[in-house]
Amino acid sequence: MVLDDLGSSLRGTLDDLRGKSRLEEDDIQEVVKQIQRSLLEADVEVDLVMELSDSIKGRALDEEPPGGTSARDHVLKIVYEELVELVGDSTELPLESQTILLAGLQGSGKTTTAAKMAWWFAKKGLRPAIIQTDTFRPGAYDQAKQMAGNAEVDFYGDPDSDDPVQIARDGLEETEQAEVHIVDTAGRHALEEELIAEIEEIDSVVDPDTRLLVLDAAIGQGAKEQAQRFEEAIGVEGVAITKLDGTAKGGGALTAVNETDSSIAFLGTGETVQDIERFEPNSFISRLLGMGDLKQLSERVERAMEETGAEDDDWDPESMLEGSFTLKDMQKQMETMNKMGPLDQVMDMIPGMGGGMMDQLPDDAMDVTQERMREFNVIMDSMTDHELEEPRSISASQVERIARGSGTNTERVNELLEQHKMMDRTLNQFQGMGDGDMQRMMKKMQDGEGGLGGLGGGGGPGGMM
Amino acid sequence: MFDGLKDKLNSFREDVEETAEEAADDADEPADDVDESTASADAAETEAADAESVAVDDNDSDDSAAAAAAETDAETPSSDESDSDDADDSSSGPGTLKRAAAFATGKVIIEEDDLEDPLWELEMALLESDVEMSVAEEILDTVEETMIGETRKQVETTGELVERALHDALVDVISVGQFDFDERIAEADKPITIVFTGVNGVGKTTSIAKLSEYLADRGYSSVMANGDTYRAGANEQLQQHAENLDRKIITHEQGGDPAAVIYDGVEYAEANDVDVVLGDTAGRLHTSDDLMSQLEKIDRVVDPDMTLFVDEAVAGQDAVMRAQEFNDAAAIDGTILTKADVDASGGAAISIAYVTGKPILFLGTGQGYEHIEPFEPEELVDQLLGNDE
Repeated sequence: MVLDDLGSSLRGTLDDLRGKSRLEEDDIQEVVKQIQRSLLEADVEVDLVMELSDSIKGRALDEEPPGGTSARDHVLKIVYEELVELVGDSTELPLESQTILLAGLQGSGKTTTAAKMAWWFAKKGLRPAIIQTDTFRPGAYDQAKQMAGNAEVDFYGDPDSDDPVQIARDGLEETEQAEVHIVDTAGRHALEEELIAEIEEIDSVVDPDTRLLVLDAAIGQGAKEQAQRFEEAIGVEGVAITKLDGTAKGGGALTAVNETDSSIAFLGTGETVQDIERFEPNSFISRLLGMGDLKQLSERVERAMEETGAEDDDWDPESMLEGSFTLKDMQKQMETMNKMGPLDQVMDMIPGMGGGMMDQLPDDAMDVTQERMREFNVIMDSMTDHELEEPRSISASQVERIARGSGTNTERVNELLEQHKMMDRTLNQFQGMGDGDMQRMMKKMQDGEGGLGGLGGGGGPGGMM
Repeated sequence: MFDGLKDKLNSFREDVEETAEEAADDADEPADDVDESTASADAAETEAADAESVAVDDNDSDDSAAAAAAETDAETPSSDESDSDDADDSSSGPGTLKRAAAFATGKVIIEEDDLEDPLWELEMALLESDVEMSVAEEILDTVEETMIGETRKQVETTGELVERALHDALVDVISVGQFDFDERIAEADKPITIVFTGVNGVGKTTSIAKLSEYLADRGYSSVMANGDTYRAGANEQLQQHAENLDRKIITHEQGGDPAAVIYDGVEYAEANDVDVVLGDTAGRLHTSDDLMSQLEKIDRVVDPDMTLFVDEAVAGQDAVMRAQEFNDAAAIDGTILTKADVDASGGAAISIAYVTGKPILFLGTGQGYEHIEPFEPEELVDQLLGNDE
C-alpha cells in the first residue's frame, strides 16, 4: 500500500538508534537521509520532501526527548507527528444528500472511481446517482453506464450530446430522487486551458459540496503542477488515489494533498466496484511506521470470535481464562485466527510484530505457519474427545496411533502437544487479569516479550513459526 | 517536456564550475606543501624533484612536460602517499604531487569532494524529473567516474567537461537499441501484427488510433483488433475510433478470449491484404498474476511481430517496475510514452529505456489523432543539455 517501503526502510534506520539515549547530529542526518530517500522513491515531490525532512531534523535536534524515552521512540514520534500533520484527516464526507465532482488527468480512473464511490454510498444506505459528462473520450458513456449497472445505482448520460455543461445540468434534474450525485468529467490536464475553462463551468453549474481530484498512484513529480492548477480552477477538497493494487506508492497523492491543502478521501484497490476503501489516516500511518494497528486488529478479532462462537455452542472461551485450556480451545483459536484473514495481514497489525519483525522473517514464513496450522488441525481431528480435553493424558502409544491416523508422524504430534503446553503456560500467566492488565499485556507484546501467546501462536520463530 | 531537467542541469553545471574555481584557488597552498615535502624527501624521489622543477618553471605550457608530470604521478603512487602523510593530511583524492603538477601546467583536478554537492544537486534534478532512483544513481555513477581525477586545462571550462560526461551518460541510457520504426514496417512481411500492452489508463487504445493514422499517412492499411474484452466501454471506444478513421475493427463479446480476437484480426488482414494488425489489450496492473499470465498467453498464441509497451510520461518511480514486469511477461520491442504534453519532466522515458533495454519509439502529445511523434533520443539529450539553440 501507500508508502509501504517507507515503513521498512525507516524502521531499518530507526533500529540503528535502538539503545541510544542521546541523539548525535550524525544519527539524525542518517535518519533524515533515509526518510528523504524513501519519500522520493514513493514519488513525493522533491520540495515537499525537503520541507518534511528539514522539520523532522530540526525537531529531533531541538526537542529534548521526554524522560525515559529512547532516542528511537523520540524520532519515531516526530516522524509520526509530521506525517499526521501532512496527511491530516480523511476528507469529510457526511452520510447525507450531497453532490461530488470528480476531476483529474486522462486515464487516472475517474469513471471507475465514480462507480466505486456510488457503490460505497449505496452500502451506507444512501441513494446515489452517477452523471457522466465526458463527451470527448469514445466509449466513456458506455463504460460509465455499465459500471453504474454493476454498482446498481442510478445513471445519467447523453451519448448524443457534446455539451458537458448541459449534460451536468440535465443530469442533476433527471436524477433528482437520488441523494448523492457523483458527477464524472472528461480527463484533462493543467495545460489544456479550454478544458480547464470547461470544468470551471461544470463546477459552477453543479455547485458541488466536494470536489475530488482523482490521481493515479503512479503519478510522479507532475502531481504538484496538476494539483495546483485544479486547485486554482475549481478548488480541491479531497483526493482519491487509484490503482493502489499495483506497486506504485502513491506519494503523488501526498504532494497533491499538500498543494491543495486538502485530504485523502478514498483509495482504489482493484477493478470491480467493491474495490474501494475509505482512507483511514491513523491506520495508514501506524502501519506505515510499523506501530501496528490495534484498532483494526481488535475489530477483526471480535468479528472472527463471533463467527467462530456462533457456529459452535459447545465452546466456551471463558473457560479458557479459568484455567482449563484444552486442545479443543487451541483448535478453536486456530480457527479464529484463520477467520481473521491471511496471517501476514493479521501479523502486520500487531504492534511489534508488523513491519520490522515481518521484514526479518523469510518470505515464506507465513505460508509455513499456515501450513503448520492446517497440519495441527488434521492431527487434532484424529484425536478422541477425551484426548482433546485432557492432552496431558496422551501416552506414547496414543501418539503413535494419532500420527498414523492423521497421516503425519509422531514428531509432529509431539510438536503439537508441546505447542499446547506452551500456550497453556502463557495463558496461565494472564489469568485473572482485568482490563488494565490486558493493556499491560499488549504493552508487553509491543516490547516483544509476550509473543503471540494469547492468540494461539507459539511466540517467536521457534514456536508456531 | 523536459524543461525542468534542463534548468536543473544548467544550475548543476554552474555549481561544478564554482567548486572547480575554488579548487583552482586552493591549488596554491598544496603547491607550497609539495615544495616543503619534496625538500625533506628522499633523494631517490628524483621524479618528485622533476615535478618541483616544473612547478618552479611556472606555467610551463609545454605539453610533453605536462604529460611527464602526469606519468610521474601514476608511476609512484606509494611515494605520493608518504608525501601526503607528511605534508598534507587532507588529500584523499589525487595526490599532492599530481595537483601540484596540474597546477604547474595550468590544469585543475576534479576531486570527489568537489563533486559531492553538485552531484547531490544533480540527483535531485533527476528525481525531480521523475527519473527512477536506481537509474538516476547509475547515471550519477557514470558522471562521477568520468569526472573524478579528470584534469582539465584551465582554458577548458568545467562546464564543458560536465556536459560531456552527462551527455555520454544520458545518451548511454536513453538511446539503447534504437531502431527505425518506419524502416522495420517497410521491410517486414505483411501483415505485421503489433500488440499493445500496459497498465490501466495509460492510453493504449488512443495510441492505437493514433498509430493507425500514422501508418495511413505512410501508405499502410491497418485493422484494429480489440483484445480488451474486459473493461466496460472498451469495444465502444475502439469502435468509435475506427469509425472516425474509417478503419476496419474486429471485436468479440465482452468477456471473450482476447487472444482469439487478435488472432481473428490477423486472419482478416491476411484475407484482405491489410498491412498492419493493431491488437489492443486490456489494461492490467503488473501485480495481477492472472492477468499477467493471460498476457503471456496472448503473446504465445498471437506471436506478434512487435509488442509495444505503452506508459505515460507522468508516471513516477513506478515506471521502472511495471516496464520490467510487462517486459518479462511479453517481451517488448519498444515503448510509446503518452501524455508527454502534460508537461512531466520526461524522466519516465529515461527510466523505461534503461530498465527494458528497449527504445522509446513514440511520444503521445495530445488528444488529436495527429498527436504522435517519433522519439529522437539524441535530440532529447541535446535539448536537455541546452544545445538546441
